[in-house]
Amino acid sequence: MAESSKETKTTIELATFYVGHALCGMDILKIQEINKLMEMTKVPQAPDYMVGILNLRGQIVTIIDLGQKLGLGRVEISNDSRNIIINAPGEHVGLLVSKISDVIMADPDRIEPAPANMSGIQGSFFTGVYKTENKLIGILDVKEVLRLESDNLGRGLER
Amino acid sequence: MSIEDDEILQGFVEESLEHLADIENDLLAIEEGGADIDVELVNKVFRAAHSIKGGAGFMGLTVIQDLAHAAENVLGLIRSGKLVPTPNIVNVLLLAADELQSLIEDVGNSNTVDITSHTAALNTIFEGGEAPVATAKKAPQPERAEPAPAKPSEIASPPPQVVEELQAEVPTEVEDEAEAMDEHDVEAEHETDHESDQETAASEATAGTKTRRSSGGAQKTDTTIRVTVSLLDQLMNLAGELVLSRNQLLQTITSGDVRNAEAVGQRIDLVTSELQEAIMLTRMQPIGNVFNKFPRVVRDLSKKLGKQIDLTIVGKDVELDKTIIEAINDPLTHLIRNSVDHGVETPSDRLKKGKDAKGLIVLKAYHAAGQVVIEISDDGKGLDGEVIAEAAVKKGLITADQAKVMSEKERINLILLPGFSTAKKVTDVSGRGVGMDVVKTNLDQLGGSIEMDSEVGKSTTISIKLPLTLAIIPCQIVMTGGERYAIPQVNLEELLRIPASKVVERVERVGDAEVVRLRGNLLPLIRMSDVFGITPTYYDPVQDELLPDQRHNIADRRSKSSPLFRDESTPAAEQGVHASQERKGTERRQSASSALNIVVVSTGAMKYGLIVDRLHDSEEIVIKPLGRHLQQCQGYAGATIMGDGRIALILDVSNIARMAGLTSLDGSERAAELADAAKEAITKSRDKQSLLTFSSSIHEHFGVPLNQVERVEKIKRKDIEEVGGRRVMQYRGGSLPLISIDEVASVMPLDDRDDLLVIVFHLAGKDVGLLAIGPIDAIEINADIDDVTLKQQGIMGSAIIGGRTTMLVDIFEIMKISNPQWFEDHAAYAEIQIDEAQVPTILIVEDSNFFRHQVKGYMEEAGFNVIEAEDGLVAWNILQQQSDEITMVVTDIEMPNMDGFILTEKIKGDKRFGHLPVIALTTLAADEDIARGKAVGVDEYHIKLDKERLMASVHRYAKEAMAA
Repeated sequence: MAESSKETKTTIELATFYVGHALCGMDILKIQEINKLMEMTKVPQAPDYMVGILNLRGQIVTIIDLGQKLGLGRVEISNDSRNIIINAPGEHVGLLVSKISDVIMADPDRIEPAPANMSGIQGSFFTGVYKTENKLIGILDVKEVLRLESDNLGRGLER
Repeated sequence: MSIEDDEILQGFVEESLEHLADIENDLLAIEEGGADIDVELVNKVFRAAHSIKGGAGFMGLTVIQDLAHAAENVLGLIRSGKLVPTPNIVNVLLLAADELQSLIEDVGNSNTVDITSHTAALNTIFEGGEAPVATAKKAPQPERAEPAPAKPSEIASPPPQVVEELQAEVPTEVEDEAEAMDEHDVEAEHETDHESDQETAASEATAGTKTRRSSGGAQKTDTTIRVTVSLLDQLMNLAGELVLSRNQLLQTITSGDVRNAEAVGQRIDLVTSELQEAIMLTRMQPIGNVFNKFPRVVRDLSKKLGKQIDLTIVGKDVELDKTIIEAINDPLTHLIRNSVDHGVETPSDRLKKGKDAKGLIVLKAYHAAGQVVIEISDDGKGLDGEVIAEAAVKKGLITADQAKVMSEKERINLILLPGFSTAKKVTDVSGRGVGMDVVKTNLDQLGGSIEMDSEVGKSTTISIKLPLTLAIIPCQIVMTGGERYAIPQVNLEELLRIPASKVVERVERVGDAEVVRLRGNLLPLIRMSDVFGITPTYYDPVQDELLPDQRHNIADRRSKSSPLFRDESTPAAEQGVHASQERKGTERRQSASSALNIVVVSTGAMKYGLIVDRLHDSEEIVIKPLGRHLQQCQGYAGATIMGDGRIALILDVSNIARMAGLTSLDGSERAAELADAAKEAITKSRDKQSLLTFSSSIHEHFGVPLNQVERVEKIKRKDIEEVGGRRVMQYRGGSLPLISIDEVASVMPLDDRDDLLVIVFHLAGKDVGLLAIGPIDAIEINADIDDVTLKQQGIMGSAIIGGRTTMLVDIFEIMKISNPQWFEDHAAYAEIQIDEAQVPTILIVEDSNFFRHQVKGYMEEAGFNVIEAEDGLVAWNILQQQSDEITMVVTDIEMPNMDGFILTEKIKGDKRFGHLPVIALTTLAADEDIARGKAVGVDEYHIKLDKERLMASVHRYAKEAMAA
């Protein structure tokens, strides 16, 4: 995250979305697509933050309930809820969010470090916060969200 | 000189490896030929060495070039007949070929490897020509020469440490040579190239979505595969067809022509399957690629162990998926080594046993039932199940009790258990403690299976079954908890559906284990919803929906469906109102909703039944890997996309067994336990009597043997007509005489109500109806029948059924008393018309007092003499003493001490009694029982207490006996 923002010094585009009532954002370039496919297959025995798996044009996509993952409670599937499909190494992963919001042009220099405890959200999942005129956007650390608990070994290396 | 063009290098490597693969077997053939040189063969090897040399020279691979050159020199001598290829010379050549192979496989580092030992040995042969024996033994560097033949499987990936060591050595040895220094520098440069290559390849593999099995792919570098041009052309053609079909489809959709859509659909279907087949073909490789190295393995090993072994290979052309070919290499090598090391005996041992000194190992591959079977058989000492079982017990892998109940085959297959190795002494060849279980694990991962069969002292055969390919597999689709799951057909044994009415009969519980009896074997059951924590549901076909299932275990059905327990558990209101036929139709237990759908699966030695909600079709599916986040879920082998676009998970059958706590040992332990329980249950059930229970007045309960009942009818009181002092009703176009029990026996009169039941019997060639009232029920009892307390006219005895005293009705007696004229003119009941002196004597063998007295009663009534015996043994003794008196034997089947089958066998097998007719009486007339009875010589079978038929045949046999 930090690297990409350095490279594109001028501005970055943030795709913003709601998880419950919390407004989050992420670099739009990391997103492959956003869709509304809700025909998910449940996977018994999967971790509780997993909603299920989805057939995305012949590929199996794992869908993660972002609300559950962030500790905000389950995202309810409604007309507004969407899957944000992310190109992760070796696979595609979908993040289930409550609602998609605007795309915001942001100045990377104005991204502030995330407070340890952001209004009840687990701070470790955010790289920073970005203030607009009337909103505060938490910038999602996608790597952290996709990291498995068993991956802790690699954690120190990447940071 | 740096290597500029990777593609050319890759080509060289592939070509050289192909040459080398052939060289090995050719050298062995040359060795076999000895002085009788096959010039054509030597030429071939020579040319191979020559082209490797040429290629290596062109690529600047000096070390490979030198080695190939030295080998070529020696081969040249052999070709021109100046040198006789002794085993030692061939050995040196083989070692050189091995070295060449490892050099070529790690081509980037080849120029830094020290090969002086090989070249020196080869050159000595070349120069000296005549003195190869001494040199060859000394020449190869001991540490390289030794392990090389012992572990050819490792050649594919030379351990990095070895390479590093060699690299470290090189500079010190060749430092003074400027040329060599240059090369080393170049080498270093190339090395980095090579590494980065590997990295990109690795990352490509990770990024690639086609990573097939979750574990595969990532670590391996990209490999290439050779495909014939004609196959590529075919693929191209098919791709063209597919594009055409797609265009047609799009057109059809735009025009909305439904009829055409069907045709286009068919076309796409056809093209797709052809395309799939063709693409599969590109992955197929002959199994010979693996098999070809075994002659060498067997040769080297048998030499080392001082054994003489021939290896016969059959079916080299059988093709398998590339991935499988690669993966079976190690397991097969292990098995072949095992056969050489443990299977085939030493020549002296073999001669002692009268076998040919030369052992034979046969390696065979063939297609069977959509799978490839590889068989490895040897004519060695075989496996001794007893010894294996003993060892397994000693190692604590199984208990002695378990061992006792195992079959010979099961015992042999114990060898596949983890931590099992039968080798008495640990050799460096095999038997290193990691044994067959590793082989088994490897094969399990491939979706294959392994089975051992052996005859002590004669042979051992190991058969491996492998799927043709891993990418597309046929699967059985099942449904549980509203989601579909796929079970690979390899694991599928059969599908089993137990109708609700049979659940209690077939499903049993022992401790926590639920099992089903399947053709005499007990099969542990696992409920899929339990293992995966899915809310249990059952499918209601009437409403076509899934309903939550409240039962906690299968046995809960018992309360609903078992006639044994119904009296306590079913509310009385439900019981009384309906008559039997109607109830059977509407009762919940009769509907399909609570039937059990069981998928019988097997994985290795284990076999169990997986209970699912519904069974669907079988389908060919494409395996897709699951994402990282689901790797921790062990129950799945992957996922697949179904025709409707939804995803189905593929079940990993062996992991499910593990998750359910069912190991193969557990299985056998439970099975043994249950086998005992089942046996007991069977013996108990044998003496059961099926009764139809009913009432006549509200407070008195009656029973009559079910097999005497023709049917039960519901009638209204007004249907009964009183004509000529008799009660009759119209029935099937005639008059059915009706009686009630109180007409004969002193019991309470028939209850006065509108709804009555008529139990129809067929006696003395006529139908007769017994008036009764509900509730009626069909039950099985094994309670003791008291034939004293309540015995009276028309009542043969009583039993306690469901906590109530129930009187057993003797329908014959009742009819005889109420309608004596019926029986007078009926032959079966006519008293025997013969001289007093010659009254036939019948030996009645029956362990139940009740039945014995009953049968005796019938016989004496008809005027026969009767001798009683409580079991087969007593009967046999009586026969010995009074053989000339007895005219025929009427025997029960299930008896203590000696059963009816054995008794019959003894009678029929004895000269003195062989002529005696034997009539068997049984409560169970299962087909196999009847067959068995016929086999031992039973003349006739009768269901217990079917008096009419029994007496008819007794009369017939008595007449025959008298006449004779």
